[in-house]
Amino acid sequence: MTRPDTKGGTEAMESLYPFLYSGTTDLSAVLDQVRASTVAKTEEIIELRRKVAAVDAARLARCARDTAARFAAGGRLFAFGNGGSATDAQQLATLFLNPGPDAIPLPAFGLANDTSVVTALCNDVGVEVVFARQIAAFGGKHDIAVGLSTSGNSENLVRAFDEASRRGMLTIGLAGYEGGKMAELDSIDYLFVAPSASVHRIQEAQTTIYQVLWERTVAEFSRLRESA
Amino acid sequence: MSDAVSGSDQASDQVVLAFERRSEPARELAAQAGAVAAACHAMAVRFHQGGRLIVFGTGGASTDAQHVAVEFVHPVIVGKRALPAISLTTDVATVTGVAAREGMDAIFAHQIRYLAAPEDIALGISADGNCASVCAGLSAAKALGMLTIGLAGGDGGAMKDSPATDHLLVAGSDDPLVVKELQVTIYHVLWELVHVFFEQPGVLAPVVVA
Repeated sequence: MTRPDTKGGTEAMESLYPFLYSGTTDLSAVLDQVRASTVAKTEEIIELRRKVAAVDAARLARCARDTAARFAAGGRLFAFGNGGSATDAQQLATLFLNPGPDAIPLPAFGLANDTSVVTALCNDVGVEVVFARQIAAFGGKHDIAVGLSTSGNSENLVRAFDEASRRGMLTIGLAGYEGGKMAELDSIDYLFVAPSASVHRIQEAQTTIYQVLWERTVAEFSRLRESA
Repeated sequence: MSDAVSGSDQASDQVVLAFERRSEPARELAAQAGAVAAACHAMAVRFHQGGRLIVFGTGGASTDAQHVAVEFVHPVIVGKRALPAISLTTDVATVTGVAAREGMDAIFAHQIRYLAAPEDIALGISADGNCASVCAGLSAAKALGMLTIGLAGGDGGAMKDSPATDHLLVAGSDDPLVVKELQVTIYHVLWELVHVFFEQPGVLAPVVVA
């Protein structure tokens, strides 16, 4: 064991996985614990999704309606996040742009996708502008900005929301924990918080939030088109 | 006015229903716990031997492949060691080049043949288990002697019957969006629990796990 763990971290690990510290190398005991841990994590995410739906169903429905209205007015969607959240931004963008044969494709971009633009901005200015600068270049008043963060504290998201809000875009934020800095911003029209302290469970609940947002937005968009 | 109110109630109910559609498949995920544990152990053995994790998927699953790679290389939990993992979806020049010359089915198989080593781990992700590019990637990996793991949904599709899949983890839903959400949980758990084995070197002898 060469992990540079703090004492607190070691104690936390011990309470989670007591067999690591019992001196045993019994494989079947470890497998049993891993199985039990897997079951416990699935229970956590079911409960977290239930909480989010209980708190935010009505706001998610309104957000989908507003997002659909922006698309109907000719708007485009820009999604952004860092690390794992960058992959979520990419998933959200491709869900709108290439939803398969049963849904209407809508224009959406993932702002972490272009490594040339991202590395140029990081190198020439700093990571805090990688999304705001692209929003400044592309964003218009009918457009939609969706930023994803687990902590809610990413400076480059805060800057992007400021820029998007200044341009009159609809702004949607996804955060975890208690919302972090994103919960203090006036620049976010709809903030959805997955109230958990686990980065993993937060990301899993956020995936549901944005995929349900997509589903309801496409439904609202179809309704708007039919009534037009 | 009352119409508008009942309309917004209805929209809210649709959101609640959409969330509820996730609950039963997520509960069924618990039935995969044994298979998840066995896959984690096999992965830990390979990492212990110097293997790298190579992840791939098309469409939405390509974002999952990249998520898995960053999860292992840059762990979110302080103190966990970085483990080598790459996604085969990020090199657009190679992916589009292979697709244009040999066809889509070859995009991952080609990269595996020239980038991977026998001690590596292949993790292929597909919502229905039928993605031809992913299946070809798993076959190329198996031929090389790699450990192969498939993440599928529905009934497991072609991945389920393929001799190229050593470990198959199935998210029990036919809705590709629900499958994706369950797969995110599966690979988060894979990452966390690989470390549990990895920190217990006594259990990393390459034995067959029943």
